[in-house]
Amino acid sequence: MKRTIAAIAAVLTLATPALAQSLKSPDDVKTALRLLVQVSNDFKRQITNKNFARVPREYMEYTEAADAVRQSTKDEPAAFKAKVEARLKAAVSAYQKVSDMSGKETDVDKLLAEHAKAVTAMNALFDLFPASMRPDPNLPPPGRGRGRG
Amino acid sequence: MRSSRRQWLFAFLAAPLALVGCRRKAAPPEQRAVDLFIESDGDFLAFKPDTLVCPSGAMVRLAFHHGGKFLSARHNWVLVYPGQMEAVDKDVDDNEGIIPKDDTRVIAVTPMCDKGVTVMTQFTAPAPGDYPFFCSTPGHGECMNGILHVERT
Repeated sequence: MKRTIAAIAAVLTLATPALAQSLKSPDDVKTALRLLVQVSNDFKRQITNKNFARVPREYMEYTEAADAVRQSTKDEPAAFKAKVEARLKAAVSAYQKVSDMSGKETDVDKLLAEHAKAVTAMNALFDLFPASMRPDPNLPPPGRGRGRG
Repeated sequence: MRSSRRQWLFAFLAAPLALVGCRRKAAPPEQRAVDLFIESDGDFLAFKPDTLVCPSGAMVRLAFHHGGKFLSARHNWVLVYPGQMEAVDKDVDDNEGIIPKDDTRVIAVTPMCDKGVTVMTQFTAPAPGDYPFFCSTPGHGECMNGILHVERT
């Protein structure tokens, strides 16, 4: 039994870099995943700034970023697309919950806790992709300006 | 007597020409025109490039292109005096980022635009210095900003 699990783990470890190379549109996938992170960060910013009225707008953008993921993986094998779709749906649903909550709840901590759950759902989606393709949520977008002041 | 008449005639004919000459001298030197182009980095909250340069006093014609493909977020380009960006950004937070026309802290602003659209603005480059620009859509300015370096001519 232990040997079987070890064998499966080894196959998965070897398969991950291969998947990165075999993705039909790796750049598009990378961009789409980064868009999800960007919108997720915007969600958080609007909640922290108590700009609750903007949160549903962020949810709409999250669904658009999710469509970008679908489009970037449209030529992948059906089994992989099914996995992506299931986790994408879970993530979108989690962010919808944050959006719905923001209409009634004004407690920033509660909303941020719900947002953290949504981030976990999004990370589950990222786990389907090789580590090299997963966006770093701490990295600023490219070309970020320095003009504050 | 004859020469005096001639002098009068010459003076009469020359006077309008002299006035024209004076007028020409008084006209301001032609303003230099500069064309600048900037765009959003696709759907990301960033300007590309995030630094622009122009000479002071130039007539700047700036085109801003919304390079997004997926997100419906709208963008614009707003140039303000140094130290005013955060205040202007905050003031339009509840107004979908629309900049009032009479805001004296603002030097130039393009209309808000949707993905794939290019908009323009025109302004006279201010005194030499570094002027911040940003997108005034609520929440965007924090990431989507840059600097216009106005150089001495």
